[in-house]
Formats: sequence, C-alpha cells, structure tokens
Amino acid sequence: MATFELYRRSTIGMCLTETLDEMVSNGTLNPELAIQVLVQFDKSMTEALENQVKSKVSIKSQGHLHTYRFCDNVWTFILQDATFKNEESQENVGRVKIVACDSKLLAQT
Amino acid sequence: MAGSVSSVYLQVIEDVINKVRDEFINSGAGEIVLGELQALWEARMMQCGVISPNMERALLPKQAGLITPVHDLNVPPVEEYETPTAEMLFPPTPLQTPLPQTPLPQTPIQTPLPGTDQIYNIPTGPSDYAPVSDIRNGGDVKPGRPTPYMPPPSSWMNQRPLGVDVNVAYVEGREEVDRGAPHQPMTQDFFMMSAGKRKRDDYAPHMTSGGFMPQQDGSGDMEIEFVLPKESQLSSIGNWGIITTDAQSKVVTRETPLLPQQDGVHDEYDDLFHYQGVANEDYNTPTPAEHVDLRAPTPLVSTPKPAKNEAAEDEEPPLNEDDDEDDLDDFDQGEEEPNTQHLVLAQFDKVTRTKSRWKCTLKDGIMHINNRDILFNKANGEFDF
Repeated sequence: MATFELYRRSTIGMCLTETLDEMVSNGTLNPELAIQVLVQFDKSMTEALENQVKSKVSIKSQGHLHTYRFCDNVWTFILQDATFKNEESQENVGRVKIVACDSKLLAQT
Repeated sequence: MAGSVSSVYLQVIEDVINKVRDEFINSGAGEIVLGELQALWEARMMQCGVISPNMERALLPKQAGLITPVHDLNVPPVEEYETPTAEMLFPPTPLQTPLPQTPLPQTPIQTPLPGTDQIYNIPTGPSDYAPVSDIRNGGDVKPGRPTPYMPPPSSWMNQRPLGVDVNVAYVEGREEVDRGAPHQPMTQDFFMMSAGKRKRDDYAPHMTSGGFMPQQDGSGDMEIEFVLPKESQLSSIGNWGIITTDAQSKVVTRETPLLPQQDGVHDEYDDLFHYQGVANEDYNTPTPAEHVDLRAPTPLVSTPKPAKNEAAEDEEPPLNEDDDEDDLDDFDQGEEEPNTQHLVLAQFDKVTRTKSRWKCTLKDGIMHINNRDILFNKANGEFDF
C-alpha cells in the first residue's frame, strides 16, 4: 500500500517524530526501527482518516488566494482570511496553508 | 468534535503500536521500548492538548500501567526521565558493593570531556558533583544520577570483580585517592588527560588557581573539608581538576562556533590553553619567551586540524564568519515567517480554476487551525486569486 508522508506534519505525526528522534538519539531505538514506525504511522493515519472520519468541511476565502503551487503532484495553497466551516463550528484564520497530495496516487496501488 | 479527533488519534497510536510490535520483538528492541515509545508519544500528544489523559485511560486500560509512571516523568526533560528508571532498576547494587561504586560516578565525569557535548555537560555537571562528595563520605547508597550513562555503569558493576581492566588508570587512581594515599601526581595526571590537548604541567596550577568557577569550587571545598578533614587536600584538588575541565569544555563549545577563524590566527596558542577567553587575557601575563617555546612544538606534534590552512589567510576568515552568521539569521527568519501556524494536510481529488476562481475538493485531511485539530473526510474549497 502506498502511503503519503504528508500526515507526519500533523500534530500527531510531529509528536511521533519527536518521540522517535529522542529515542534514537539517546540510543533506546535503532533508526531503522524508527523509520518502520513512521511508515506504519503513514498507513495507519491514512486508514483512520478514510474509515473513521465522516465529517465534511468547506473552506472559503474572503480575502484571496495568496499562493498556489503544484509541484511533484502536491498542491500547496496559502489562503488569506479563510473561513472553515463544518457541521458544528466555524473558524476564521488570517492565513492558512493547505498542502494536498494527489489522492489518485494512493488509489493506483 | 475534539472528542472524536482524540479518539481517532488514540486508535491510530494503538494501531501503529500493535503493528510494529512484531518488528520490535524481532529486532530485539522488545516490548519495553515499544511501551516507552507509546508512552512518550502519548505524553507529547497530551502536552499538545490533542488528547486528554482521561480519554486515554478509558480507552486503553491495559496500557494505563505503563503510561502512568512514564508520563509523570516525561513532563520534565529527557534526562530526568532516564534517571529515575535507572535508579529503580539498580537500587540495591550500590549497597552491596560500595567500593566498586567508586568508578561509577567517575564515568559521567570522564565521558563528557572528550565529547564536549554542551547539552550533555550542563545537566551532568551539578549532579556529578554530589555523588563524588557522597562517595568520599564513605560510599553512600545513592550514586546520585549517572544520568544518561546508566546502562554502561550497570554492566561495569557486574563485571567489575572479574575484569578491572576497563579503565585501569582511572580506577586505580581513584581508589587510592579514596584511601588517602599520597597521590597528588595521580590526580594531576587525571586532570591533564581530561583537559585533552594540554600537556604542560605548568599550566595545571595556573588554570586551577585562576578561579573561573567561583561558586562551584567554593561549595565543593566547604563540603569536603567538613566531612573528611585529612583527605581534604587531595580530594579538593581532584574536584578542582574535574570542575575546571568541565567548565572549560563548556566554555569552549560555546565560543568556538562564534570565533573559529580568528582562532586560526592564534590556533596553536588556543590549543595549548584550551580556553579562549582567558587565553586572550593571559596572553599578556606570561613572558613572551614562553609563548615562543610553547607555540613552536605544537604544530609539529599535533596539527591534524584544517585550521592550519585557514591560519595562512589572516583577513578572510572573519569576513566569512560574518557572512555565515548573516545567512543563518536570514534563514531562520525566512523559515519562520511563511510557516503559518494554521495548516491543512489532505489529499486532493480535483483542483480546477476558472479565471481567477479556484475550486478544489479535498479528502482525508487533518487541519490544525486555531490550535485545534480537526479531521475531515471531505472538504470543498473556493478561493479567489
């Protein structure tokens, strides 16, 4: 199964990465094993998002799209004054970055 | 929403842990390391506020036993986490063998010196000091905290009776000092060796009497003199040596990145003194003749460093150094500014644009917005460029 390393940048992924860093650097864990853990995290996180999350969100930008970029099959948007809406709540942020990988790359394999 | 996010996170953690368990066991890391990984990971998540301890205990009762001890210890930095574990693991050994104990506090002192790792030196410095005086008092039970070095000492403690050759010089010297035998040269040797490149006996007293570390020395002297008056001289000398070198290595590590090229000019000189700030001041104090003598042999004996080449060009290095610093500063700022705190990580199904109107459909995303994590299955975005 192909996976994205994308989610490593999320809170949970960063926490894991820092933990692994720490354990590798103090010698508790060997680096290869740490990488295996990260790969497994990629898989587990992707599966969890597919299977357990049902919510929908809409993203609108009152301001403007500051940056768009498509590089290596990854879209990056930087929005200014964006509004995030889901069923429960609405959040406004002055500046947000969206990083998105191509979902077809996962489906292919 | 938050509840479901943390439950998803916890399930991801559990899933990852379960699925790497075989690899951990096969590779010899074992369940304990795996449990530690999980505990540390969850502790960090709790610090980030994305999962709450209550949720965790409700959902993962079987791990609760593992989590509670480690979690508490984790809130402070890593070193603190290691220490109690080590103490928990090896409490009785010091009681049985007070003498073999002696090399034990020695190890944390010796080892940081060649490494000159700044992070390492700072926490060990004060903690090392306590054990040393403790043992002088008569092999006290608490070897204190041989902080990150617990595993090596433990194996030493077991092997000790069989093979003493682990570090012959230090062990023997140490024990004799403890017995009060006349071994000033021994301590001096230790001091010299620990100082790394300094090889002249003349400079040992010079450095010690310099009084760079007023507070540490003062307290050390006090303690030892109170407890063991007859050994006070020897042990205090030993301590002086240890502390000074510690502090030196700290100072050196701090200063070298700042002034590498300027050092190049006086490189041999710095190698001798190993202490830059004072080296510059002391430069005037001893007679110039000494310096000529000292500087002459050093390049011949030990010049494994590229500094020799840099020394040839006197004026360029400072310029380069400034450039580097500027670059680094710019780089740091450059990284921080565009790095928005609000982040959406997702997969895209479709991205379209009509004139300046962008539409995209995203799926399986994690958003971190206003310090909250939000997961979504689908998201539609509309932006104007």
